[in-house]
Amino acid sequence: MSKMLKMVSDAEKSIVGFLKYLLDSGKVSGVLTLRQINESGSVDYGLVTRSSELDRAVPLMPVMPVNAAEILSNLTPSRKPLAVVVKPCELRGFIERIKREQGSLENLLVISQTCGGVVPMKVSVKSKNKTLTADYYKAVARGEIPDHIRPTCKACEYFVPMTADITVSMIGEAVSSCRIFLNSDKAVSMAEGFDVPAEDGELDVSITESHLVKRRNERSRLFKQIESEQKGLDDLLQVFGKCIGCHACSRVCPICYCTLCDFESRHFDQNVTLFEKELDQKGGLRLPPDTLFFHLGRMSHMSFSCVGCGQCTDVCPAEIDVSAQFMRTGEMTAARFNYVPGKDVSEEIPVMVFKEEEFQEIGE
Amino acid sequence: MGADPHCGAEISVEKETGKTILNFLKHMLNQKLIDGLLMPVMVPSGDSYAWILMKDSTLVDRANPLAPVMPVQGAKALKSLTRKGKSDMTVAAVMRPCEVKAAVELSKLSQVNLDQLILVSYDCPGAIPLEMYSQDPAGKESHFRSMIEGKQFEEDSVKPVCQFCTDFSVPASDLHFALAGEEGSKPVIVSCSEKGSSLMDKMGLKTSHDLTPWENRVEEIRKAKSKKREEIYKTVQHMVEGFDNLLDTFSDCIGCHNCQSACPICYCRQCYFDSKEARPEARFLLEQAEKRGGISFPQDKILFHVGRMSHMSLSCVSCGLCSDACPVSIPVARIFSYVGSQTQKAFEYDAGKTAGEALPMKEYKMDELQEIHEMIKSAESGEVPHE
Amino acid sequence: MKRKIGVYICECGPNIADNVHINKILEAVSSFGETDDIEIVVKSYKLLCSGEGKEYLKNEIEENKLTHLIVAACSPRDHNSTFINVCKQTSLNPYLYRMINIREHCAWIVHDKEQATERAIRYIRGGLRRVLFQTELYEKKLDINPDVLVVGGGIAGLEVALSLASPQRKVFLIEKKEILGGYAALYQSLLPRQQEARQEVQLKIKEVTNHPHIQVMTHTRLDQMIGFLGNFEVGVSSIGDSGTATDMKVGAIVVATGFSMTAISNFPQFRVRDGDEVYSALDIEGMLSEKGQIVRRSGDAPKSVGLIHCVGRDERGYCSRICCNAMIKIAGQIKAQDASIKVSAFIRDLCLPDKMDQDFFKEVKAQGVEFIRVQDIKSDGLRVQYTGMDMHSVNADFDMLVLAPAMEPAEGTAGLASDLGIPLHETGFYQEAHQTINPVATATDGVFVVGAAHGPKGITDSVLQAQAAAAKIMSMLIPGEKIIPEVKVSEVLEAFCMGCKTCLEVCHYGAIVFDEEKSISVVKEAICRGCGNCAGSCPSGAIQLKHFTNPQIYQEVIEALR
Repeated sequence: MSKMLKMVSDAEKSIVGFLKYLLDSGKVSGVLTLRQINESGSVDYGLVTRSSELDRAVPLMPVMPVNAAEILSNLTPSRKPLAVVVKPCELRGFIERIKREQGSLENLLVISQTCGGVVPMKVSVKSKNKTLTADYYKAVARGEIPDHIRPTCKACEYFVPMTADITVSMIGEAVSSCRIFLNSDKAVSMAEGFDVPAEDGELDVSITESHLVKRRNERSRLFKQIESEQKGLDDLLQVFGKCIGCHACSRVCPICYCTLCDFESRHFDQNVTLFEKELDQKGGLRLPPDTLFFHLGRMSHMSFSCVGCGQCTDVCPAEIDVSAQFMRTGEMTAARFNYVPGKDVSEEIPVMVFKEEEFQEIGE
Repeated sequence: MGADPHCGAEISVEKETGKTILNFLKHMLNQKLIDGLLMPVMVPSGDSYAWILMKDSTLVDRANPLAPVMPVQGAKALKSLTRKGKSDMTVAAVMRPCEVKAAVELSKLSQVNLDQLILVSYDCPGAIPLEMYSQDPAGKESHFRSMIEGKQFEEDSVKPVCQFCTDFSVPASDLHFALAGEEGSKPVIVSCSEKGSSLMDKMGLKTSHDLTPWENRVEEIRKAKSKKREEIYKTVQHMVEGFDNLLDTFSDCIGCHNCQSACPICYCRQCYFDSKEARPEARFLLEQAEKRGGISFPQDKILFHVGRMSHMSLSCVSCGLCSDACPVSIPVARIFSYVGSQTQKAFEYDAGKTAGEALPMKEYKMDELQEIHEMIKSAESGEVPHE
Repeated sequence: MKRKIGVYICECGPNIADNVHINKILEAVSSFGETDDIEIVVKSYKLLCSGEGKEYLKNEIEENKLTHLIVAACSPRDHNSTFINVCKQTSLNPYLYRMINIREHCAWIVHDKEQATERAIRYIRGGLRRVLFQTELYEKKLDINPDVLVVGGGIAGLEVALSLASPQRKVFLIEKKEILGGYAALYQSLLPRQQEARQEVQLKIKEVTNHPHIQVMTHTRLDQMIGFLGNFEVGVSSIGDSGTATDMKVGAIVVATGFSMTAISNFPQFRVRDGDEVYSALDIEGMLSEKGQIVRRSGDAPKSVGLIHCVGRDERGYCSRICCNAMIKIAGQIKAQDASIKVSAFIRDLCLPDKMDQDFFKEVKAQGVEFIRVQDIKSDGLRVQYTGMDMHSVNADFDMLVLAPAMEPAEGTAGLASDLGIPLHETGFYQEAHQTINPVATATDGVFVVGAAHGPKGITDSVLQAQAAAAKIMSMLIPGEKIIPEVKVSEVLEAFCMGCKTCLEVCHYGAIVFDEEKSISVVKEAICRGCGNCAGSCPSGAIQLKHFTNPQIYQEVIEALR
């Protein structure tokens, strides 16, 4: 039986109160959380060391300006205890990074939530998060999928965090109350001394299960649409034809950690004589070249680790739903290795592991 | 400009200006005066354009030299083509004036080789914002066509930087299509360089058409746009003066660096601000947070923008692709255009105007930046420095 | 990997110890290493640069098995090399050491002891952060060629060649004219004793042409030069029809190309028509050498001679230094020829810099030469029009006029400067490395400039410079010994370079070249002086200066801004 804290105010206030306690008691030296940075409502991630700075914290706000996995990579290994509040996909992304030596869980108290989804950047920036969040929280409390969240969020099956120390129950939870679940010994010892005493309690599986059904429906709907877009080269060109080659998708991706992407390196510089030859042989070619190649290459490099956060779709200036494409390809690739990204930090990524008996069908 | 600066050549005209230009270029290709054409072609999904280098005639027929949008800066396409190696291939590229200017700037940085290129520009009414276009491609296509045919060069439906662009006619290209005449006037081709003149000669074109009415019209439009520029720059000024204003303006920035990726001038393989060195270590981050009570991510947000300004504003051609690419709608283009106009003024430099003008960073003139000498002198003598 | 940093704080007697709290610094520094793999040893010492101090430091490095060293003391200008040499006596690579200035930058300028202490702590901690990012660097030794190329066979060039040539060092002397001697061979007499110039100069020319270790090539010019100090490759060719080209390898190049005289026709305020008895001072030298006296074309001596000084001084913007003496000499010789000839010298200022010049001037004046100071002057044929210091305008007619035109850079100076990669001064003469402390060297290591090519001067000073350059070459290029080029040079990271050539164009030493195939810049390490201009100009950080990389500097900045 796991432990839980039953808070008296709404989730946002409760969590902020808990984070303040962690700082004031000296149990952590810093807290990573979303916070409002100005009067007009802009939201950023911040590393806070003074509890007074938490007055403007909005740890559970359904926005993702940056995937926190990258921030966690930069903050760790940490020599002092930190509490971090991140969304499940950000946590999964970080786990995938740790497997690539880009960070460490040591000294981190990870707080996450059963996630109702994230509002796309364009929408949250334009509305400055006001009316939108009210509707959002109402839908989540009812156990429904809110309307205006990222398509990939609607299709996300991993909304219950798998490796967090603390889980805040949001889905199906009444707006005015809050329950947080202490999943590890670390969490229990951190909560000792807090106003609210720990009691026995478990996350209500029936709520999460029924929500999962809704998500699965969305996922199959989305993937059916993608399937029809991924039948062959022509289809892929239809989708990625308008790509402008800015590589923003890879830059904001929590998994893409390379300091210099291979596709931006000297390896892909072409000599003009090559273009001359191609022009002669084919009569025409696209400039700059390798538009689709970049995406296929990126898929082969990281799609099996894709956690479906949807940052890529949000930043794409050509409005391509990159995330849906990568999620589907990623799922299919990972399935071949019985691999689930972000589930377990000790589960090695398929590229690093060779099993003699894998891909038997090719041997046949 | 070419042999006779006040005369252009008449060409055979189609119903649509786009087709007129297309036929002219096809003719150049068929006469083997060039080996290939670089023009925008609509992508399979029908809601954007891509740069295609072509010599096959069926491809040429699909091209639209007067594309309503500019998803990829033409200078980038030219860079990927000519940066490495040498070849005898000659390519004619149809570009907007700002794309030609960017190509000229890149040639000064050894990223574009102008020797292999014939740059063809046209009087540009501006480009439709990418976001608006993708919401209604068909509607925006016909809207843009009517702007060209109706010779409307002062529309509000184009990007803000386009609204105040005074370089919309004849920058450093080889050939230029004069479109901004009076209503009903026919497009005429103007030579702007020796290369251009020699081509026109080879095509048997006679420069007999008096350009004065067109030049007058262009001057009219330029004056109006210049006024618009002053107005818009005034609004931008307070966005960037003072650190607090900068913080506010860039508060939504997520550090995706799209602006830098889309920018034709930013040629670095790895932007300094993406490098390992620019990433502070974990220990330092926590120390800073402890000192100040809290730090924000992405780190060094303003440093990235100010750094990019100091690296490329001297070559900024105000093409506006940075704003198109920004996912959180920060008016990067207007801001960088304004800052660029100020830094370029300090060196009396006009980005992209001519390939012969050396980049300020590469050239030292003993008498440059006199105003800073003055400032130092008056500071030393105890006078109060003026703003 | 365990790292052990030794931090030694020099008290510098009372200089540092009296102005900062040494014990506070010791405490603050020892708490720096908060991670497991860094250990700090921090101590203070009375005077590290003393003999005992250096011995102490050497022992500390060895006994503690230090992996990095910080010395917090005076300015690196004073003792950086001192402690580098200490490191060289141990197994510690000298580039894993860093000197921190807590004297000139701290103890001597911050008067509040608390503030000075805080600053010293920050500087030292900055150094600690920095030194962890430093890497081992190794000196290279290059073979050198001790031979020298002298460009120009005038008095300066002849002097350099004679000073340098020896069995271990060959000198190649090229001269564009067909004869050696330059202008000096055209003078009638050498001051101050007025010995016969030609004889003196001819002696030198004979010595040079007969010298077993000097190869003279007249009617020859320099075509191209590549390379660096100790390893130049030069191409020369004979002027004229045959145009035979010769390549040679030398270790140093001395430019002694002299000057030329400005033509009087350049100055419209002195109107001269064909047949006018108007001469330049050089013309008169020639006349005196040939005929032994001053005569007009008609054959008879003039009854009056006007001497106009400073012709072209305003236009050129500098004084040509030798003309006043030359004109005074001419005035004296006219009077010696016939005391009744009226001699009037029109002067602006008088340039009499050497120790015998004043007496000489007095002598000539005593012979009855009139010296008239003017505010401005012009001439039309033989009529002189001037404004005296009393503001009155005067006309004066003469039988003959002698003008002293300015010296200017020799023809071809700009081209040669470009070939050798050395800059020109704004007057057009070659630019020396430093006007006062390095006057014969140039921006290119191994290329020297001597004589009038450097700026207007007479024979004495030309000979002086020639000997100076020879001395420098003898100490820099010792036959049989290798040279050690700069270690802290720039380096291009191929992975990141986009070949924009910005670094190449801002490098004043020509140390960066372009690899066409890879489209990247490449640093020629032997020429690089480590100035860092290139590193500062690259927006991407693709070129960095060793020992001054961005991460290293950044570490110091972090601490300073803490």
